[in-house]
Amino acid sequence: MSKKPAAAPTLHKVIMVGSGGVGKSALTLQFMYDEFVEDYEPTKADSYRKKVVLDGEEVQIDILDTAGQEDYAAIRDNYFRSGEGFLCVFSITEPESFDATQEFREQILRVKNDENIPFLLVGNKSDLADKRRVPLEACRDRARAWAVPYVETSAKTRDNVDKAFLMLIREMSRQKLGLPPAPSPAPARRPRCAPPCCCLS
Amino acid sequence: MGPPPVVTGISPKEGPPGTRVTIRGEFLGTSAIDLIGLKICGCDCLLSAEWKSKNKIVARSGPCKGRGDIIVTTKSGGEGTSTVQFRGYHESIGPVKESAVWVEESIPPAMPWGRRPMSPVSYTPPDPLGLSTEGDDCKFPEEELHELFPDGSGKLSDENFQPGWYLLEHHSNTSYEDLKAGMVFLQRKVEGQKEGQLSFLKANTGAVMDQLDRLVLLKNMYEEDQRKNGKEPLPSLQAAIEDSISLADSLFSEILSRKENADKTREALSLLTRHKFLFQLPSSIDRNIRKKEYDLVVNDYTRVKNLFGNTDIKLFQKILAEIDKKIDDLKTRLYNRMKTMPINVQEQTNYIRLLISLNWEGDAAWTAITSRKDYLMSLMNKVKDHFKKKEDQENNEKGKRKVKESENEGSWSTTRMLWCGAACGALSTELNALWPLARRYFAGELGGQPSASERHDSLKEMIIAAVELFSEHMRACLLSGGGGGGGGGLPADAMRARLNANLRDLRETYDALLKLDLPSQPLSIVEKVIFDYRVYGMTVFLQRAHKRVKGLAEKETWKIEEFSDYGAITNLPHLLQTYVTEALSSIHKCVLISGRREGALLAEGSEPANAAQRHIQQILLAFVAALRQLALHHDGDQDFNNTSLSVALDQRLEESQDASRDTSSWQQRLLVAGANAQYTRRVILPAIAAAANQYGFPNPTQALQATKDSLISLESTIAETYLEHKGDPLVGTIEPSMYMGRHRTDADAAVDDARPYVYEIINNLIAVHAEVDSVCGAASSRYVRDICETVCEELARLAACAPPVCTRAAAVQARLEYTLLRRAAADHLTRKAENYLTEALATIPPLENEEDKKRMEELIAGFEKKMELQLASLNCNMETV
Ligand SMILES: Nc1nc2c(ncn2[C@@H]2O[C@H](COP(=O)(O)OP(=O)(O)OP(=O)(O)O)[C@@H](O)[C@H]2O)c(=O)[nH]1
Ligand SMILES: [Mg+2]
Repeated sequence: MSKKPAAAPTLHKVIMVGSGGVGKSALTLQFMYDEFVEDYEPTKADSYRKKVVLDGEEVQIDILDTAGQEDYAAIRDNYFRSGEGFLCVFSITEPESFDATQEFREQILRVKNDENIPFLLVGNKSDLADKRRVPLEACRDRARAWAVPYVETSAKTRDNVDKAFLMLIREMSRQKLGLPPAPSPAPARRPRCAPPCCCLS
Repeated sequence: MGPPPVVTGISPKEGPPGTRVTIRGEFLGTSAIDLIGLKICGCDCLLSAEWKSKNKIVARSGPCKGRGDIIVTTKSGGEGTSTVQFRGYHESIGPVKESAVWVEESIPPAMPWGRRPMSPVSYTPPDPLGLSTEGDDCKFPEEELHELFPDGSGKLSDENFQPGWYLLEHHSNTSYEDLKAGMVFLQRKVEGQKEGQLSFLKANTGAVMDQLDRLVLLKNMYEEDQRKNGKEPLPSLQAAIEDSISLADSLFSEILSRKENADKTREALSLLTRHKFLFQLPSSIDRNIRKKEYDLVVNDYTRVKNLFGNTDIKLFQKILAEIDKKIDDLKTRLYNRMKTMPINVQEQTNYIRLLISLNWEGDAAWTAITSRKDYLMSLMNKVKDHFKKKEDQENNEKGKRKVKESENEGSWSTTRMLWCGAACGALSTELNALWPLARRYFAGELGGQPSASERHDSLKEMIIAAVELFSEHMRACLLSGGGGGGGGGLPADAMRARLNANLRDLRETYDALLKLDLPSQPLSIVEKVIFDYRVYGMTVFLQRAHKRVKGLAEKETWKIEEFSDYGAITNLPHLLQTYVTEALSSIHKCVLISGRREGALLAEGSEPANAAQRHIQQILLAFVAALRQLALHHDGDQDFNNTSLSVALDQRLEESQDASRDTSSWQQRLLVAGANAQYTRRVILPAIAAAANQYGFPNPTQALQATKDSLISLESTIAETYLEHKGDPLVGTIEPSMYMGRHRTDADAAVDDARPYVYEIINNLIAVHAEVDSVCGAASSRYVRDICETVCEELARLAACAPPVCTRAAAVQARLEYTLLRRAAADHLTRKAENYLTEALATIPPLENEEDKKRMEELIAGFEKKMELQLASLNCNMETV
């Protein structure tokens, strides 16, 4: 399918970010191996890589699953630097994790210094709808504010898992090909400093 | 074969050795046993691998460093590939970090205030230009900055901040465009802050008021706090700080002391390993002693002495003292063992060597030699006591059983034989050990002071003492102690066997000592024992023969064995020959032949040769004595049997029948004894001489001569006795029978025959001749001759006493009778007998006329014819003298 007989398919480096216990690893493992891990085992830094067929083209996806736990915050910077696209995950049952996405976003922008870096806001554990504590609207608002797509997933039921990853990869390959970003679900891209409540300093 | 494993996930992707990693992927094996290989960064981790599913393996990373693939190998899919990599690193561990392993602590890098950074990442303020400083490797030299801005500083927060310094320091490589962009960024930031202040306040009045309220509240709280806690929080702060200092100190002191302890332990450990040898030596010495590996002990000891002999370290000295004590114990033990007999010489030499290597002060080898000698002496005494005791016991038992004295075997007993064997064995084995030991000692191989002047002499004395003791015992054992010398009732074969056994034992010992090359003095002592024993053996054989010969008298059965040239003999002479020859052959076989380096037993003129001569003479003379006793001794009632004399006077009566019942009358025995004597003299003695010669004895001339003489005298005694008992009665009958018919005879009647007494004489002579001849055969003439002589003498005497012959007839008569007698006994007449007859004839007047002479001749012829048979019997078997 590929036009160029490339020896190696294009490699997309994805980084999973988000607070501890939101389900980054769960999502990764579901995507990679179609398995769901019930036990919680805090991650330090895991690495996964596999080939996927995206829109008829074979690409390679490299997933760096980082630590959500604060203990490992110090080493995040280094990892972020190598990332080409980010899945910023929070748990819809945990407002604190939703709040933390803000910080992650800032840190990524600071390190990557690119407003248009491929980025996806993911609200995980959608299967636990009864325990939902982050309103869907708030999630959508934030995505809109950042001009990034928002997806709700469930690592447990595999709902939207592939979709989330593929959306991100698609965006990454588009960018790499120099195409404009895909139309985001948000109606319009806003200026960077738009939200009035941020950046007190 | 299935698809090869692919590893697509690793969790975590980095870590120090031993990190537990979860490996994910595809085709990672169908079961735990399908998984046959796992390598992480080249390190084999199969051992720790835990197969979970075909997608998951849990393992621990190995001691790898750097990035590397994770390669899974399965039986079903072969060697796999990996899309992800693991990075191994080695963590450095600080003093407060727990670690499962001991990690060498590196000296921490010197920090400006002697403290470690509180956090691994130090705070760096964000770049004011909003630019990344990443990759800005090319640093601007700091000295130059100091020169350019003498009073300035590059720190944003400092009062004397110099933007130039900052730019040079941080953005020396940043492009102009970037700097411009940074400038815009900075300006925007500053403006945002400036113009925003007022509008910000306006827009947020409520919030500001709120904040003021909060401040008031804060103030109140602060005052409240002050009221409660006093104006001066400093002391309590100070106390808290001091507390924390002391706490920190205590924390550190604990750590430090722990480290110190650890250091000490480590030092001790390394000391232990470095001087392991020394520390383990006491126990290894014990162990080796227990295993009897003394050589190892000596080696170790020498080594430790070389290494630590002059050490000043107390601990080492202590251990050395302990070792020394052990070695001292060992030395005394070895010493005691070395001199404790019995011990084989090899072992003993080993002990001596060991003692020398352990610097034993004494002269170990000399002790060994003396203890060996003492042992030898005591051993021999023990052997002696043992066998003496045994012998006493046996004798007691025999005493109880009242066994005849002659059965006491004395020096020929089995006990003695065993004793001899044991003593010989003891002497030869012990000297065999002792002498080479001494030789090596004197060769200086075994230390000590072999050069000390008295050593040689005392060694020689020792050996002589030992050998002398041996000789003394052997003399007591073999050369003495009853048994009647002749070996008692022991059969000759057994005696010979024992003699041979004993002699063999002695000779073996002698031989062994010869091989040892002992000095000649002790050798000659042993040789003397052997020689004496040989002499003893010889003497015993001869004594036995002597005894047997002496007993021959009782053995005589008078059974005629043979008619020899010297008459009828019994087996006595042959027995003599047998006994003597047996003795000689035994001597020859057993003792005469000299062993290696032994003197000749019967050297010319030596004492044993003389003794042998003496003994042989004794034996032979004893034989003669036996013969003599047999010949001349007779019971009173058994008188000379003259039944064969047909004397007209006394008729044979029942007496003769009695005598004839006795197969051998005394006169017969007498004659047989005579024949034996002669036979012995003529045949046996030369045979004995030949045997002596054959068996290597010096010619016993003297003994033979003495025996010969003695035999000759015996023979004549016998002859005399016979004559006395036989001839005298015969002669006595002549006179009465001569006169018996005188009154019947007419004096003038013509003479036609001899008177009967002449016939009687002739008959008697025939009887004697027959008797003697039956016993003595050719040798009988002597007796007949003697009797004829006495008969003639009697006739002469009677003729002389008779009244002169007056008638012619009487004269003729007498002449006829004398002539007839002379004619009959012609062959038995000695010159003396002839003289007697001539004398008798002289008393008668000669024949006067031819007629008488003619008549006489006729009568003689008639007589010869008539008496032809008688005359023949009288003259048969004549020995031609
Ligand atoms: N019900 C439900 N539980 C989920 C879902 N995703 C994750 N979990 C559970 O949430 C817990 C944490 O999931 P992880 O994926 O390990 O969390 P993480 O974000 O990787 O956490 P860190 O590694 O510490 O950053 C686990 O017990 C998961 O089973 C989901 O979609 N639904
Ligand atoms: Mg995780």
